Amino acid sequence: MMRTALFALPLAAGVLAAQTPSPAQADTSQRQAMPALKVDIPPAGTLVAITNATILTATHGTIENGTIVIRNGKIAAVGKDIAVPAGAQVIDGKGKFVMPGIIDAHSHSAAEAINEGSRSNTAMVRIEDVLREDAIGMYRSLAGGVTTLNILHGSANTVGGQNAVVKLRWGLPVDSLLFAGAPPGIKFALGENVRQTNVPQTPGRTPRYPRTRMGQEELLREVFTRAQEYQAEWAAYEAAKAQRRKDAKLAEPIPPRRDLQLDAMVEILEGKRLVHAHSYRSDEILMLLKVAKDFHFRIASLQHVLEGYKIADEIAAAGTGASTFADNWAYKLEAFDAIPFNAALMAERGVKVSINSDSDERARRLYQEAAKAMKYGGASEEDAIRMITLNAAWQLGVDKLTGSIDVGKDADIAIFSGHPFAPASRVEMTLIDGRVFFDRNKAPTLEALIEAMKRRPRANTTSGGAQ
Amino acid sequence: MNRRFIPIGVAALGIGAPLASQAPSALPPVRPSAYAITNTTIVPVVGARVVNGTVVIRNGRIEAAGAGVATPAGVTVIDGRGLFVYPGLIDSGDRMGLTEIGSVPGGQDTQELGQYNPQNDVITAVNPSSVHIPVTRANGVTSAITSAEGGMIQGTAALIDLAGWTPDEMATKGRVAMVMTFPRVGGGGGRGGFRGGQSQGGDAAATQNRQVQELYEYLRNAKAYNDRSNPVRQNLAFAALGPALKGEVPVIFDVQTEGQIRGVLALADTFKLKVVLRGATQAWMLADTLSARKIPVIVGPLTAIPEGDAPYDAIYANPGVLAKAGVQIAFQTNDGGEGDARNLPYNAALATAYGLDPEEALRAVTINPARIWGVADRLGSIEPGKVANLFVTNGDPLDVRTQVKHVFIRGQLMSWDDRHTQEYQKWRARPKP
Repeated sequence: MMRTALFALPLAAGVLAAQTPSPAQADTSQRQAMPALKVDIPPAGTLVAITNATILTATHGTIENGTIVIRNGKIAAVGKDIAVPAGAQVIDGKGKFVMPGIIDAHSHSAAEAINEGSRSNTAMVRIEDVLREDAIGMYRSLAGGVTTLNILHGSANTVGGQNAVVKLRWGLPVDSLLFAGAPPGIKFALGENVRQTNVPQTPGRTPRYPRTRMGQEELLREVFTRAQEYQAEWAAYEAAKAQRRKDAKLAEPIPPRRDLQLDAMVEILEGKRLVHAHSYRSDEILMLLKVAKDFHFRIASLQHVLEGYKIADEIAAAGTGASTFADNWAYKLEAFDAIPFNAALMAERGVKVSINSDSDERARRLYQEAAKAMKYGGASEEDAIRMITLNAAWQLGVDKLTGSIDVGKDADIAIFSGHPFAPASRVEMTLIDGRVFFDRNKAPTLEALIEAMKRRPRANTTSGGAQ
Repeated sequence: MNRRFIPIGVAALGIGAPLASQAPSALPPVRPSAYAITNTTIVPVVGARVVNGTVVIRNGRIEAAGAGVATPAGVTVIDGRGLFVYPGLIDSGDRMGLTEIGSVPGGQDTQELGQYNPQNDVITAVNPSSVHIPVTRANGVTSAITSAEGGMIQGTAALIDLAGWTPDEMATKGRVAMVMTFPRVGGGGGRGGFRGGQSQGGDAAATQNRQVQELYEYLRNAKAYNDRSNPVRQNLAFAALGPALKGEVPVIFDVQTEGQIRGVLALADTFKLKVVLRGATQAWMLADTLSARKIPVIVGPLTAIPEGDAPYDAIYANPGVLAKAGVQIAFQTNDGGEGDARNLPYNAALATAYGLDPEEALRAVTINPARIWGVADRLGSIEPGKVANLFVTNGDPLDVRTQVKHVFIRGQLMSWDDRHTQEYQKWRARPKP
């Protein structure tokens, strides 16, 4: 079924023909708005074939003149000599490059609140509760070939809160964004941001514990010790209940007090909740890996991990992923040892590496960022592609579902005008579950806006304060 | 294997010790002063590219460049087979040398107190030992316009080469332009966030009007001062505006919106200023006007998101729209110490994906800025007589995958011992624990 989402692109000081009245225009009476954009919400389950394209599979090399068949949102066939099934909607991939939809393992997009900064363990708060379906950053990421985001809390707290892994199904209601098969996760953070030492001291404001990296370790060991006790209390309660089922004469056991914070921590201990840990310096990373080892769980991904190259062997041995920036550095002291060779060097030593954005801006061009792993440290092309697709999927626990162009996987696909790493290439189309959620031919581009303005010359404004 | 550490032709250079063992230094090493890059593709940027050409570098200058150029005796030969020679890239806006680590206040010389600081000479605060300098030039960026931020008038900008023992030695033009912003409704006008209406409260438009009036008033006073033959008392701030008010140096306006640009044009008419717009994300709205008035636009950083609900590609497509209208464009990274200056060519690359001609994109990081900053006789192309700021690559410098093999600044071959390569080599050699 075809549905249509209405939204407007108002443009400050811009004037456009308003052919279709839109509810949004009532809110922008001070400025004239673009016509309401009809964004077609693509129908689900269509039989689709992308033909004659160069396909970068991320797992089994590049297929020239290849075809991808999509059935019920999944990749049904991929290869060189694949027949186009009758009735399929054909996307002509001639001259185009197709890669798996980009997965950004570190985003704050679409979250209305980022930090519950009041205390240093806020394991109970959830991104899912503050997601917005109308966050324009998501649409712009989609226009950069991104299909999946790991939306995380900020780094104000040692334990920041529960993440949301989403697919960018722009135009659908907010609950349709959630990636159904993704295991739950949680944000941890270490170092300067948690210490709150980079922000000016406000008189009268009490510094918050922990103020040091030692304090951060203590806090983690404290909360996991509490979580173990809590876990034991519940285990004892469940055991007592089971006993009572056998022997009705026993007294009804009293359940332990439900603690939402400790619930989340117990899920970590039980391996049901993936830890994504903001970290910079090698020493704090080693500390975290030690804490995880002592409490018998695995850190799913180190985020930023700018000094990961110093301890790549330890990270690899822990089975932990590393999600880093391509080349950002020097913006704070703990980023001063960051080097652009980080991703390639960690990968060389066996770490599963992804390149993330941590920003709605970088998310738009993660393909350009990934190419830097080839430039700095000599990653192969397929390695670099994997750093923004399959490796990120693995870190989020969704690598069986997405992240490569393989039969059986979700048809999450980005179609580029040229090789994704070539300078003049841009995203032409982005598909999620085989549905076209971005199509540059139908998108509100600057070119389209200028054409619309030409058709309807603007009134001469006096804004600008000229005297 | 990482090819970057084995520059082609090292053996031919006759450098005894491996590059890695040299003492770490942000300063150019002393090397032979005459080179020939042979059998190479020369991309002069002005005119057609030359296949199988030779570039001769001597005493800091390009002595010869072309197809039939002979290799003189006694020069160090770099085999340029399969490689390309490009003029050094010019970043038309950053804070090179003014900041080291973003979060460390002790390292910041980016922002003076007060709104009007035309007397501030940025070259004074350029730290030649900044570790950002070698890291940036390693990707072929050989020159930068560095300037301060904040307030209404920031002072002078300097055009510096990314090598040199002292600030003055680095400067190609120590006072290349005056830097200003133009008030904007709601504030946020210039770089670093001009504190306009937002912090003042009340009606944002009224605040902007008052700020515009203040700016006019300030410039009128400065003009009156400079028009007097012998002022009663010297005013260093007003005196510093003299060259800009006489049209001898351009004024860079760090602005974004159409309204600000219109305001700048009116201001320029009143005071006869030679204007260069910078940032200017909404310049596309006035492309024809800017073209007709021959006002250059420094675009970028393209690594930004459109304001409000502007089209998703508005930032990426702006340079192409301007260039097609005939506006002379150049790129800036606006690097404030985040390490983005080395990504200058990738700003240009993003624009080529959204309508900017690739050849023009290359000119916009080489010859265009050289012309805008009045140094096209010295920089911006591979031509005999020009300063030997150039770099050698194995491909298109706008392509991230391309490796830079050699960088020359003023005829000196730069070494690879920057902070990043040092750390990489050190930790790559760490034994398995």
